[in-house]
Amino acid sequence: MTTKPNTAAMAVSAQRRRLPRFLTPTLMVGGGIVVLITLFGLIAPFFVADPNAVDNMGMQPPSAQHWLGTTQTGQDVLAQLAWATRGSLTVGIIVAVMALFLSAFFGILGGYLGGWLDEAFSLFTNVVLILPGLPLMIVIGSYVEQRGLILIAVVLAITSWAAAARVLRSQTLSIRGRDYVQASKIAGERPWRIIAVEILPNLLPVMSSSFVFALVSAILGEAGLSFIGLGVVGTHTWGSMLFYAQNGQALTLGGWWWFVPPGAMIAALGGGLSLINFSIDGIINPRLRTAPAAARTARHAQKEAAAA
Amino acid sequence: MHIARKLGFYLVALWAAVTLNFFIPRALPGSPVDAVLAKLALRGPVDPGTRHAIEVMLGADDQGSIIEQYFQYLGNLLRGDLGTTVTYFPAPVTEVIGQALPWTLVLVGLSTCVTFLLGVGLGTVAGWRRGTWLDSLIPATTILQSVPYFWLALLFVYAFAVNLRLFPISGGYDVTLVRPALDYPFLSNAVYYAFLPALTIVLSSLGGWLLGMRNMMVSTLSEDYILTAEAKGLSPRRIMLTYAARNAVLPSVSGFAISLGFVVSGSIVVESVFSYPGIGYTMLQAVNNNDYALMQGLFLIITVAVLGANLVVDLLYGVIDPRTRARG
Amino acid sequence: MHLSRRTLGKLSLAALAPLGLAACSGQSNLEGGASGSDKPIVTTYNGSGAGFTKNFNPHSASVLSMVQGMIFEPLFYFNPLNAIDADPVPQLGESYSWNEDGTALTVTVRSGVTWSDGTPFTAKDVAFTFNRIKDTPALNGSGKAPSAEATDDATVVITYPAPSFVEGPNALGRTWIIPEHRFADVADLATDANEEPVGTGPFVLSDFTAESYLLGANESYWEEGKPAIGGVRVISLSGNQSATDKWLAGEIDYMSTAIPDLDTHVANNPDLSYTNTGTSQAALFAAANPELGCEGPQTDVAVRQALYYGMDREQLSKLAFFDLGTDISPAFALPERDKEFIDPSIELAPWNADPAKAEQILQDAGYAKGGDGIYAKDGVRVSMTVSCPTGWTDFVTALDTLKQQYSQIGIELIPQQVSVNEWNDAKSKGTFQLVIDSVGQGPAPDPFYPYHTFFGTDSTVPVGENGNPYQNSSRFSDPDVDAALEVAAGTDDPEVKKQQYFIIQKKIVEAMPYIPLLIGSSLTEYNSSKVTGWPTAENLYAYPMSWSAPDNAQVLKTVTPA
Repeated sequence: MTTKPNTAAMAVSAQRRRLPRFLTPTLMVGGGIVVLITLFGLIAPFFVADPNAVDNMGMQPPSAQHWLGTTQTGQDVLAQLAWATRGSLTVGIIVAVMALFLSAFFGILGGYLGGWLDEAFSLFTNVVLILPGLPLMIVIGSYVEQRGLILIAVVLAITSWAAAARVLRSQTLSIRGRDYVQASKIAGERPWRIIAVEILPNLLPVMSSSFVFALVSAILGEAGLSFIGLGVVGTHTWGSMLFYAQNGQALTLGGWWWFVPPGAMIAALGGGLSLINFSIDGIINPRLRTAPAAARTARHAQKEAAAA
Repeated sequence: MHIARKLGFYLVALWAAVTLNFFIPRALPGSPVDAVLAKLALRGPVDPGTRHAIEVMLGADDQGSIIEQYFQYLGNLLRGDLGTTVTYFPAPVTEVIGQALPWTLVLVGLSTCVTFLLGVGLGTVAGWRRGTWLDSLIPATTILQSVPYFWLALLFVYAFAVNLRLFPISGGYDVTLVRPALDYPFLSNAVYYAFLPALTIVLSSLGGWLLGMRNMMVSTLSEDYILTAEAKGLSPRRIMLTYAARNAVLPSVSGFAISLGFVVSGSIVVESVFSYPGIGYTMLQAVNNNDYALMQGLFLIITVAVLGANLVVDLLYGVIDPRTRARG
Repeated sequence: MHLSRRTLGKLSLAALAPLGLAACSGQSNLEGGASGSDKPIVTTYNGSGAGFTKNFNPHSASVLSMVQGMIFEPLFYFNPLNAIDADPVPQLGESYSWNEDGTALTVTVRSGVTWSDGTPFTAKDVAFTFNRIKDTPALNGSGKAPSAEATDDATVVITYPAPSFVEGPNALGRTWIIPEHRFADVADLATDANEEPVGTGPFVLSDFTAESYLLGANESYWEEGKPAIGGVRVISLSGNQSATDKWLAGEIDYMSTAIPDLDTHVANNPDLSYTNTGTSQAALFAAANPELGCEGPQTDVAVRQALYYGMDREQLSKLAFFDLGTDISPAFALPERDKEFIDPSIELAPWNADPAKAEQILQDAGYAKGGDGIYAKDGVRVSMTVSCPTGWTDFVTALDTLKQQYSQIGIELIPQQVSVNEWNDAKSKGTFQLVIDSVGQGPAPDPFYPYHTFFGTDSTVPVGENGNPYQNSSRFSDPDVDAALEVAAGTDDPEVKKQQYFIIQKKIVEAMPYIPLLIGSSLTEYNSSKVTGWPTAENLYAYPMSWSAPDNAQVLKTVTPA
C-alpha cells in the first residue's frame, strides 16, 4: 500500500552489514547516560546510608566518608541523591506513559475520525489545556493526607497531555488527507487498522519526541513545584533536594556539592533522553540518520567538482 | 459558517473553563480568613477578636449557597468585576492584575517570541543543512532545556549578580533610582533588570523549538513533493522556505499559540527567583493566601489568553495548511 | 563555590554587554535625583513577598508594614525584652494611672505635638480613636473595647466595663492614635485604606509604587533631633535567598530574616552585624486532654515527660536553629527577662538528652518495649504523628532530628509536612497528636499573656469544634490555673502576680501539655555603612525585629547617620 517503508529499508540495507542498524553512537551515548542514571536510582538506594539521618557534622565538603559531602544538617548528599533519583524517575515515567496514552487517544482518534467526536475531544483537550496545573495539584492534594509521589505524578500527567494531543491531532488531520490513507479507506480497511498501520508510523517521531518531552517536563515540573514548596512530600526527589539546598542557602555558604548534583542529574537525564530521541527518529525516519552523511558527501562532491 | 462554528465552539470552551475556575478554588482547603490570620500571627500576637474582625472585613460570614455564588460570579464577570483580593486588601483584583500584567507580558512574552523565532529559525537551518556543525547545536540546546529553570536562574544570580555584580540581584527596576514611567531612565533600567531573567527563559526553552522544528524539517524533506521541487530545479533557498519549512512549521505554530497563551501565567518559578513583579509571581501569592478572587481573576486572564491564541491559530491554520479545511 | 580569578576574568569579558547596559541604565527619573536628601535612607525588607497596595490604615488587618508606630504612634512603648515591672517609654502619652478596681485608666497626653498636616494633636484625638474602635463592630468583636473621654486637652480617661488591668498594655501600647479631623467622616474604620496618611509619627509617606514605598523623616516630629536619618524605604522580595544576597551586597540596611551561618558573613564584612533576640518558645504541642476529646499516646503525661527528657536540645539547636537556640524553661516564662517570676524550684529544660530517665518514666508508667523496639502499653505503641507546615525548614529539620533521637529511646515519631492551612485547621479542631509550633508573647512583656492564651480553659474548645489555632490548641484545662489567672488579671501588683504565676508554673510543668524544645533564634541583620546605632546585644533599647511594630519605629528613630 505504501512504498515508503520499502525504500527506507533499501536505503539502510548497506549499513546493516556493519553494525546492528540501531546501534548508532548517539544512541549508545544517550542510552548509556540514561541506563547509568536508571541503575543508580534502582540500585544505589540499597547501598547508601539513611538519607534522613542527621548528624552534627553539617556542610562537609566531599570526602572519603561522604562522597558528595553533607547537607547543613549532616545528611549524606549521595544517599539523598540516590533516593531522589529513584523518586524523580518514578514520577517521570508514570507521567510520560500516562500522557502518551492520553494524548494519543484524544489526538489521533479525534483527528482521524473527525465529526462530533473530534469536536468533543477537541473541546475536552482545550479545556484541559487551559486548566492551570498548579492549583489543580493543590486541590487534589488536599483530599489526601499527604501529597504523595503517585498523586503528584497523576496530576502532572492529567495536566500535561493536552498540548501533545493537539499536535497529534493536527498531524493526523494532515496525514488523513494523504493518498495512501485515502486509498486504504477506499479499499475498505477498518479504521483501527488504518490508524495502526498507516497513520501511527508517521506520527512516531512526534510521539517519541513528545514522550521524551513529557518525561523531562514531568521531572522538571515536579522540581519546579517542589522548589516553590508544593511538590512531593515524604519522598526524596531532585526537586525536594533543591528545595532544601536552596532553603539552607547552600550556594551562599559555598555548598556547591549540595546544590549542583540534583540539577546536574536532571540536565544529564534530559540530555541522554534527547540523544536517544535523535536515534529513534533516525530509525523511524532513515533520512534523519543518513541525511547528514549524504549531505556531507554531496557537499564534498560539489566542492571537488568546483575545485576540478 | 465555518467561522461561526468555530466561535461557538470556543464560547463553549470558555464557559466550561470559567465554570471550572469557579469550582476549583472553592474545593481548596482552608479559608481566606485563616490565611489572613496566619499572616498576622507571623507579625505578632493575634487578638482573640481578630478572627471575627477579618470575617466581617472579608464578608465571609454571610455567604449564600454555592449556586447563588456561582450566578453572582457569572454576573460580576460580565460586568468586569473580579472582586477584592485578600492578599492585597482592599485593592480590587483587576487593579492587582493590571499592575502585574505588563511586567509579565513584556518579560515572558518577548522572551517567548525571541525563543520561538530563534528556535524555529535555527531548527530550519539545522534541518536543512544536516551534517554540518549545526548538528551539534541540538544536543547542546536540549541539555540546556533539560536544566531546571530556577536552578539555572539561581546559578546565574550567584555568578553574575552576587559574585560579579554585573546584574541586579532581583526586582523589576531599581526602586531607589527610578519609578515607573514611559521615559528613558525607567525603560533602560527595566531592560537592565529584565536581562538575566529573560536570558534564563530563552536559554532553557530554546531547545524544544529547535529540536521539534529540525525533526519535522528532516521528515518533511523526505516527502515526494520536495523531491519533485528539487527535480524541477527550484533554488534550494526556495525549497527550504516555501516547501519544507512551511509544512514543517505547523506543529511548532500550534505549540507556539499554546505557549503564548501561557505567557500570561508567567514563569512562576523564574519570577519567584528574581522577585520579578509579574503575573506568575502574583499567582503564587494568591495560591499561598487562599485568595480565591485573585486566583479566579488570574485563571480568567490565562483562559481568555489561551483560548484567544488558539482561536487565532485555528483560523490561521486553514490559511497555512489548506488540507485542514477540507474535511471528509 | 567561589570562582577563581581567571574564570572571573573570562566571564567578565563575555559580560561587557551587560556592563554597557548597566551604564546606560544609571539615570534617575525621580524628582530631585536618586538621593533626594543628604541624610541616608535606610532600606528594609519585612518579608513582603508580593508587591504593595496602598493601605495606611493602622486599624486595618492588612495594613502595610512600617505604618503602625512609624506614622501612627501609640501612647506608650513597651519593650518586650524588659521585665514586667519596667516602666514603658512615653510616646504620645506622658503618664498613666489606674483607679482602684481597674476599670478606669487616666492618661496624660503629650502637649505641643502636631499632626503632619499641621493640626495640633490633643487628648480629643485619643478619645476619638478609642471610641471609634469601640463603635466599629469588626474591631470590637468581643464587645469589651473601652470607651474614652477627653476631660481636657491633655487628659483622657479610658473606661472599661469590668476590671481590666491586663487590657492596659493593649490600650497603651498597641492602640494607634488617629487624627479625628481626618477620620471623622470615614465610614468603616476596619476597611478604609487611608491612602494619604496624616500621623504624629517620626516618618511620613513620601513616595509609593507597587514595588516599594518610601517613608521620609517627619521634619516637625515632637522628639528633638529625631529621626536623624532621611527616611526608610521598604522593598518587596521573593524570599530569604534574595534578602540574604541583597544584605550581603549592602543593598539592605535593616531586616529580620533567618540566615544560616551568620557569624561567617559578619566576620567577612565589618559593616554587617546581627542580633539574636529570641522570645518565641518552640515546643511540641500535644493534644493532651482526653476529657475534651484528644486521642493518642501523647494524652498520657508519662509519654510527654519522656519526650521532654528524651530530646537532645544541643543537637536540635545546632542542626535546626543555626546553633543559636537558647535555654528554655518548662514554666514557659523567659529565663532571662522573667527570672524573678519563675518558681526557683523549676529548673531549665536539660540541654542534653537523658535517655535513661526518659525510659524510666515510661517503664514506671507501665510501658514495655515491644519486639519492634518501641514502647507500648495495652497494645498501644508509643508512636505519634507530628506535623509542621511544608517548607518551614527549621521545624522540618527539628522533627527529623527528634525522630532520630526518639528512636533510640523506643519512641516512634512520624513527621508529616502539611500546608499551613491544614496545620492551622488541625490545631483549631484539635485533630492532631503532636505539632511543632511556638508559644508566643503578648502585647506586654508579662507571662500572663502566654499563660492565658495557651493554658486557660476559656482559650480552648472541645476537639472537633473550631477554636483559634493560635490559642490553647493542646486543650489543657485546670481549675487551679484558671483561678490563678483570674487573680493575676485583677491586679497590677507584680508581687501578687508572681505568687499566682508560681501556682500556674507548678501545674503546667507537671502536666506538660506543651513540651518545650528551646527558645528559637530571632535574627535581625544590620548594615552600618550608612547608619549606626542599631540595637546590640549589650544595648537592646528596643525589640529589634524589623517587622515588629511599634518596635521598628523605636529603632529607626534612634539610629543616626554614620
